[in-house]
Amino acid sequence: MEFGIFTIGDVTTDPTDGTTISERQRIKNTVELAKKAEEVGLDVFATGQHHNPPFVAPANPPVLLANIAAQTEKLQLSTATTLITTTDPVRIAEDYSYAQHLADGRLDLIMGRGNTGPVYPWFGKDIRAGIPLAVENYNLLYRLWREKNLDWEGKFRTPLNGFTVTPWPLDDVPPFVWHGSIRSPEIAEQAAYYGDGFFHNNIFWPTSHTARMVQLYRQRYEYYGHGRADQAIVGLGGQVFMRKNSQDAVKEFRPYFDNAPVYGHGPSLEDFAKQTPLTVGSPQEVIERTLSFRDWAGDYQRQMFLIDHAGLPHKTVLEQLDLLGEEVVPVLRKEFAKNRPADVPDAPTHESLVLRHKEGRDPIPGGGPGSQAYKDREARAAEAEQARQEAAKADAEKKAEAETGAQTE
Amino acid sequence: MKILAVTTSLSEDSTTQKLSDRIVDAAASAGRAAGLTVETDHINVRSLSTALTDMALTGFRSEELEEAYRKVAEADAIVTVTPVYKVAPVGLHTLFWQLIDEKALAGTPVLIASTGGTSRHSLAGETAMRPMLSYLKGIVVPTTVFAATDDWGSAEGGRALNSRVRQAGEELVALTASIRGLTGGESGEDGEVDGNEGPDSLAPHRITIGRGEKRGVDDEFDPNRITPFAQLLEG
Repeated sequence: MEFGIFTIGDVTTDPTDGTTISERQRIKNTVELAKKAEEVGLDVFATGQHHNPPFVAPANPPVLLANIAAQTEKLQLSTATTLITTTDPVRIAEDYSYAQHLADGRLDLIMGRGNTGPVYPWFGKDIRAGIPLAVENYNLLYRLWREKNLDWEGKFRTPLNGFTVTPWPLDDVPPFVWHGSIRSPEIAEQAAYYGDGFFHNNIFWPTSHTARMVQLYRQRYEYYGHGRADQAIVGLGGQVFMRKNSQDAVKEFRPYFDNAPVYGHGPSLEDFAKQTPLTVGSPQEVIERTLSFRDWAGDYQRQMFLIDHAGLPHKTVLEQLDLLGEEVVPVLRKEFAKNRPADVPDAPTHESLVLRHKEGRDPIPGGGPGSQAYKDREARAAEAEQARQEAAKADAEKKAEAETGAQTE
Repeated sequence: MKILAVTTSLSEDSTTQKLSDRIVDAAASAGRAAGLTVETDHINVRSLSTALTDMALTGFRSEELEEAYRKVAEADAIVTVTPVYKVAPVGLHTLFWQLIDEKALAGTPVLIASTGGTSRHSLAGETAMRPMLSYLKGIVVPTTVFAATDDWGSAEGGRALNSRVRQAGEELVALTASIRGLTGGESGEDGEVDGNEGPDSLAPHRITIGRGEKRGVDDEFDPNRITPFAQLLEG
């Protein structure tokens, strides 16, 4: 199982002293954070994609990820999320391919739709088409990374004639894709259809809801024949703030929580912590809470933590990373490994994907022979064929009758 | 038949609460008279005020609010009663309906009622609540009930109010019974009244919006109900 951190790159005023760091500093801090994540023994760093203040997450995440790739050895680089709705799939295919080469394959992506209406028209899109854009654009991206000389035509961009992505994905294997969504069942379905991963940011919504999304994805993953439901590839987010003493953590974090973008000035820290995965307390409390995710999500592949938001000082964030690396993640690794069935896969890596590709075990979108989806399709086709034949037969009989009738007269 | 009252009672034992109770009682007895088994339940929106504000500001859905919306989705019929402030339903009440899942009310009969100081407030239900509930695809019964101070104070007013309450309650039950395909014989455990006198006789044409058609708040995550991806791909 993989553990990591994800950032949305918000530049938020520190509510305790009124200071706001510069964009340059926030960007440099983000790079330092990623490097330190590797140092303390975490597996993954993921960045959001943003186009508007107060965020300085990159408008094109490969820019940041390539920079980090050059300064790290083992860290897996990812996004949270790549905006599949407003970013041209051709640019996604080429930019991430390029970054994948630079990172020697240590790259994957989480697809997201983005949630603010004004962003869409900046890129010539319309938020009302959010889901159709995610569906068509990803389908194109999927094909761009697998078919050379692609001919393609769709609703949302100009057609392609004989187009080949440059550079071609490393070792013929595209970066692994997760699909992230907070509340759209269509996206869980999309992830299952392709045999891709499903990621839930697991931050703003009650656990009961997140559990339903994950279960939906798992059941559909099995339906499409990519494996058993418990073998589907699930990633979860979560947010934590830790101090050795639980009370110190609550006291220190409260002003940041109360003024945080998104949920600030709303529910109390206590209510929010009770009903969502937010954990503010000791490392032991974070361990217990995180382990409990398995009770409703099943054995999963990747756990990401949000630690660098709401105006928390960089120094504090680095201390959080130390606590994660020294006290939390080692215990989580050990505990999550207990009773984990041997045939529940780890999160895919470039090496595992290359092997899968060579052995001809790549998932078949929509389900190959042997899957329930395939059987259902066959059954529907047979039904349609039978109906067609019956209609033809009825037609022929009618005709014959009419002819006989005409003869008798 | 499950009748749920969604009422904004800003003080304990308010006139709004009194009116809500009366209407629910009237609807329940109309149902029982028709041989139906009636269950009633009640949500006071006041108890959700913080949860509603949190959700409006931050999108955070508390468990108590989820539970309330689940009750709405599962109810066969709704009675919703609000006090009127400055010729409009009080903001808290409209917020409850503004934040509900788009499909939670679809196909459910709703009875609108309101209270106010004078009869000048009487059209608030018609002009504010009816369009909103219609937007949510609730089926609003023709009669709305309004009660002003006069109605509680004079014998004449009281009689008139009682008759409107009875009328609206009967409409709600008849509509619900016909939509859900309920008759005294089918679902009434205490069905001693002949079905011919029940609401079924008021509704010669059964509308085929059975319970199976109704989507609850969470049903969109049911693996058997989602739109298959191939269909999404075709656009």
